[in-house]
Amino acid sequence: MNKNVIKLFDKMQNIDRRYIYIVVALSIIIPLLIPFNSRTYVTKPTEDIYKKIDSFAGDETKAILMSFTHDASTMPELFPMEVSVLRHCFERNIKVFTICWLPAAAPLVDYALNTAKEDFDVQSGVDYCNFGYKPYVLRLPIMLGMGDDIAKAVETDSQGRKIENLEIMKNIKNYDDMNLVIDFAASSSALQWITYARARFGANIAAGVTAVMVADNYPYLQTGQLMGMFRGLKGAAEYEKLVDVFAAYESKDYPNGRPFSKEIIKETRVPITGDTVPYKYKKARIGMNAQSIAHIMIIFFILLGNIGYFITRKKEL
Amino acid sequence: MKRQIPLIIIITLGFMFVAHSFIPHKISTDFFDWYQDWVKAVSPFAVSLGIMSLFMVHGTKIKRKISNWQYSVITLAGLVFTAFAGFMWGTQSGTPYMWLFENVQMPMSATMFALLAFYIASAAYKAFRARSAEATVLLIAAIIVMLGQVPLGAMISKWIPESSTWILNVPNLAAKRAIMIGVGLGMTATSLKILLGIERTYLGGGD
Amino acid sequence: MFETISNFVAAFLTLSIFSFLYKDNPFYKFAEALLVGVSMGYAIPLVYENVFMPYVYTPIFLNHKFIIILPALLGMLYMFRFSKNLGWLSRYPIVFGMAIIGMSIPMSLHSSVLVQMRSAMLPIDNINTALIFIGTVTILLYFFFSKAHKGVYGKVTNVGIWFMMIGFGASFGYTVMARISLLIGRIQFLLGDCLGLIK
Repeated sequence: MNKNVIKLFDKMQNIDRRYIYIVVALSIIIPLLIPFNSRTYVTKPTEDIYKKIDSFAGDETKAILMSFTHDASTMPELFPMEVSVLRHCFERNIKVFTICWLPAAAPLVDYALNTAKEDFDVQSGVDYCNFGYKPYVLRLPIMLGMGDDIAKAVETDSQGRKIENLEIMKNIKNYDDMNLVIDFAASSSALQWITYARARFGANIAAGVTAVMVADNYPYLQTGQLMGMFRGLKGAAEYEKLVDVFAAYESKDYPNGRPFSKEIIKETRVPITGDTVPYKYKKARIGMNAQSIAHIMIIFFILLGNIGYFITRKKEL
Repeated sequence: MKRQIPLIIIITLGFMFVAHSFIPHKISTDFFDWYQDWVKAVSPFAVSLGIMSLFMVHGTKIKRKISNWQYSVITLAGLVFTAFAGFMWGTQSGTPYMWLFENVQMPMSATMFALLAFYIASAAYKAFRARSAEATVLLIAAIIVMLGQVPLGAMISKWIPESSTWILNVPNLAAKRAIMIGVGLGMTATSLKILLGIERTYLGGGD
Repeated sequence: MFETISNFVAAFLTLSIFSFLYKDNPFYKFAEALLVGVSMGYAIPLVYENVFMPYVYTPIFLNHKFIIILPALLGMLYMFRFSKNLGWLSRYPIVFGMAIIGMSIPMSLHSSVLVQMRSAMLPIDNINTALIFIGTVTILLYFFFSKAHKGVYGKVTNVGIWFMMIGFGASFGYTVMARISLLIGRIQFLLGDCLGLIK
């Protein structure tokens, strides 16, 4: 092989990593500054969660629980999911409870609720209830206690009110009523819900996880222990689209959203450029544009690094 | 006796909890209710361990003027001021306490993790080498999965997201399932060892 | 104006952490030290308001449930952890909190082992279920180190290694996605909230 080519690859193998950092930064900054419309394909794990939550629409005897087990470091992936789920619940009049187990998660719950409820006429204690921060050491007793009596296990909400006195708790006693738990975490904390809440009380469990934990949770998805899963930023983007296309849809025939349909979601494209959707409800889809470019960049680095490695190794031999 | 009594406590209570898993009788549920109330009262004092540890480590650094001791002053000042702000002005939205969380802690902890993206790119270029057939298979699977997750992958070919889904649903599932069964058995064994008093590392050193 | 100052502080601290990519420097060290202190200080009032007050103060002093004094005293024993002579006292609240591990034995055995095994024992009616079965069994055999991985057994465990490599490749692919997502979040903050370039 040409000596100059070998010399070039040799030099490239020893390039200062700070040049790589610059390429990484540019590959994310440019797509964010110049947004473009790309297709979001919705997959079954996300669809299943959407259909389950939507089945509670308008039902006073059903509710969902959103469990926040993460801190601000994983907000970029998990926050868009949380806001989308809350938006779905507020659009379709579904009772929603929130709880968090880490001190750093408490303001994130408030932030998600405040972001989502801006556009809706919802009341705390009536349409939604934030159970607030409960220390992690009490997670197991509360998880198990909610199987018998939620009001007794949790006692007070984030504002110090006794939960049993709240209007939202009418017809909601335990997991039979609060039938879906979605655990948003950057760890395998959904396993605890599966082990205790599902195995013992038959609660439906879904997980909203960072992409790191996705591959590890597939066995639970396949066995049905997890009825659905948001898979990182992609899962958030998929749910944003589902809410836009169905729950937030308004027309003469469907004044409060339309039912899920596989054909409609396959064909519908929701543009994210322009003012069609508020920024807070399309953050994940904008992020996926940058994600695409970044993935191409990483693959390019892997291939280039390996090509250089084999060429320089040949030279040594 | 300093080790025996805690062991007796965990063995007794532990087996009572094993029984509680299978017994729906009122005695069992009353026992669990009692435990719930007591563990809720024990839990808030655990945070004192973290505070004491931080003060001990950084206090020693400041006292002995170890290199970079000035940063320990910043750590302790941050701790004291944040806690003071929380007690003085409350923890609701709009208070100095929440301002510190939203504009100091949140951005910094998020940025710490964001640094990893740069390191993974650098590692992808400099360290991920297909030195063997198994490593090549790992890299190919990673590339297919990475492309399958983004819209660009579907635009290149519809087989990419389908292959990615197949990788996740078949070989990845088999691997993670086997590892999970192993971990589950290991967890059960460790829990039994703790319950039977064989595993005692949680008691710490000393008498 | 106040929001501008807040965004400036957040952006300054963000860039201080990012400056570590160039090299270690006093700005990064300052930000790191501040993060540790503020994180710990943040937890204290929250635990006081959300745990101590409803579960210790209110039951004892307002509801006169004086039996709760006992677990409160038990919890205070945590503070002896760093004492050379009385450190053994801290074992009591630790074992009390850990006792619930008894429940995890049957439950984690069920969720992590029995349900997974049951799902692996489905009828092998297509190539995918056959591959899942072969993969699961060969990997479990790989982790059995009491037998030397030689001969036929070695060849069988090698199949397990191939399955694991594909599984780890999938995990790596998703890990890349996760890390990039976190960076995207920070860049969205810097370009959007601070500079107003993203709408």
